[in-house]
Amino acid sequence: MTALQTFELSKTYRPGAFKRKNILALDKVSLQVEEGEIFGLLGPNGAGKTTFVKVALSMVHPTSGSAIVLGLPLGSVQIRQQSGYLPESHRYPGFLSGFETLMLFGRLSGVPVPLLKTRAGELLERVGLSQWAGMRTKRYSKGMLQRLGLAQALINEPRLLFLDEPTDGVDPIGRKEIRDILLQLKQRGTTIFLNSHLLSEVELLCDRVVILNKGRVLKTGTIAELTAREPVYEIQLASPAPAEVLQELAARTFDVTARDTLLFARVRDVEQLNALVDLLRSRGVAIGSMGLQKTSLEESFISLIQGETAA
Amino acid sequence: MKSLALLLFTINEAIRKGTLLFYAAVATLILLVFALGISSNEANGLITFFGMPIAVQAGKQFDVGQFIIASLHRQSVFWIVVFGVFGAAGLIPSMLEKGTTEIFLSKPLSRTALLLARAAGAAGGIVINILYFSAGIFLVFGLKLGVWQWGLLTAAVALSFTFLCYFSVVTLVGIITRSSGFTVMLALGYTVISWGLEIRQHGLYLLWNNDVYHRVLDALYYLLPQLSAMLTNSSRLVGAVPFANDTSTFSIIPFVWSFGSAALLYAGSVWYFTRQDY
Ligand SMILES: Nc1ncnc2c1ncn2[C@@H]1O[C@H](COP(=O)(O)OP(=O)(O)OP(=O)(O)O)[C@@H](O)[C@H]1O
Ligand SMILES: [Mg+2]
Repeated sequence: MTALQTFELSKTYRPGAFKRKNILALDKVSLQVEEGEIFGLLGPNGAGKTTFVKVALSMVHPTSGSAIVLGLPLGSVQIRQQSGYLPESHRYPGFLSGFETLMLFGRLSGVPVPLLKTRAGELLERVGLSQWAGMRTKRYSKGMLQRLGLAQALINEPRLLFLDEPTDGVDPIGRKEIRDILLQLKQRGTTIFLNSHLLSEVELLCDRVVILNKGRVLKTGTIAELTAREPVYEIQLASPAPAEVLQELAARTFDVTARDTLLFARVRDVEQLNALVDLLRSRGVAIGSMGLQKTSLEESFISLIQGETAA
Repeated sequence: MKSLALLLFTINEAIRKGTLLFYAAVATLILLVFALGISSNEANGLITFFGMPIAVQAGKQFDVGQFIIASLHRQSVFWIVVFGVFGAAGLIPSMLEKGTTEIFLSKPLSRTALLLARAAGAAGGIVINILYFSAGIFLVFGLKLGVWQWGLLTAAVALSFTFLCYFSVVTLVGIITRSSGFTVMLALGYTVISWGLEIRQHGLYLLWNNDVYHRVLDALYYLLPQLSAMLTNSSRLVGAVPFANDTSTFSIIPFVWSFGSAALLYAGSVWYFTRQDY
């Protein structure tokens, strides 16, 4: 089943009555999130990621287009009844303790109080805040607030969880803990919608991603699809390749780039790679090591966005 | 249920931030001062305040105790609503601060419920204080002076109603400006506006002798909650001040008009809040 589907969703912000400048934050975004998957929405600052989530939760009214969330039309209170949201910036009433904060938002979510008490305790335990459950959130650190934010988003056991930069300000161990929590949730069937800049994290978590830039969808696919490209081999030479060898390689249409003692070879297949090695060896070039270069999501992300900006 | 949770949280917020407790403490202190200080001597009809004679019951033409209650009431109602607004006005914009709104709006409450529950909680805390203070004064004067002025209790209800109407202005301003400072300032300014509109024939009318201008002032008077008129009429429920100029009796008309205006302003706040992007 589809957890979330948008149809040419657009949002133009009209800041102030007197300012003419409108901001097109979402430009006909159509995308689909399947139930049970971890979906990543990537994009540079100002791409419209937060706006997208806010539209789904009817915090922001779309200018045009439509969407169906959990089988319900946009604006339905039932969507929020079954969703959790960790906003990118979030503040809690500073005079409440972590536990009281969860009780408050649990009540506002309609969770029955007796059930809520045990659940709040469990959630604090799960996000590693048990120790600070009774402390006022005014005195929480940034990472502690982020953990509380996650617990708050889970208080109604949502079917669909929206997370906007969930690990922002969290230490590396905490990040790992949060990742584990998200993977556990996925196992239980929760759909997770993740906004993030941290591509290494997205790579570790997401089943599918969409890359958004200036409000438009640039690319959709699995991590594997997004990072796939022609293999590039990195060949470490004993000494820099002589210029005439490089010329000869170019003449024979090998796609190589030399940098000091490194050769980057873009080849079609293993056969072509071996032909390249044979040629190098026959010209007396000594090879130290050789390896396949992998593209990270970050690299393909950067090249995509840069390609877009250049175009 | 969810709305009730928000309403109670709002009152809790006002308590935890100290405002409501401060008001309750001030009210209690004033009640104690009256309870301990005021006394009447049956024999010579002398009413004293911490031993100092302040009035004497001479003859039967009028009741001195009634005189004290009615004049005190007239002088304090204005300050009660002003202090009330000081304490409650900030609660509307504080829900709209960046980071806070997002969390509240992500919960399964309609914006209408969210706003009205918040406003009810904010105003409710003050109303509780008004009722407490009025009941206290009623008891103190009853026990110490023997004047059981039941009008104090009906006036408390009228005053609470007045505050709820006044708070519709505060809510609208708070939701639009999203700033506590602005909201409090405009709310205070409104006391002057409301008074100016009430006595417009003797003030604002004279500024410009133009019929359209006069009709606009009339329209504003009827469209906005008539704070000033409601306060005056609340006090009239406590009975007349003997020998005072004001001979009018209580009129419900300003309350009826203000009920309509407040409903309109609350609806306007909801309409604005529902349409905004956060
Ligand atoms: N309330 C608003 N009023 C006017 N413009 C807004 C508003 N919110 C966002 N914008 C604009 O819309 C665009 C998209 O913003 P959005 O916050 O959705 O981006 P984002 O992808 O979440 O960025 P980031 O990675 O920095 O969080 C930006 O140009 C931003 O300035
Ligand atoms: Mg964002």
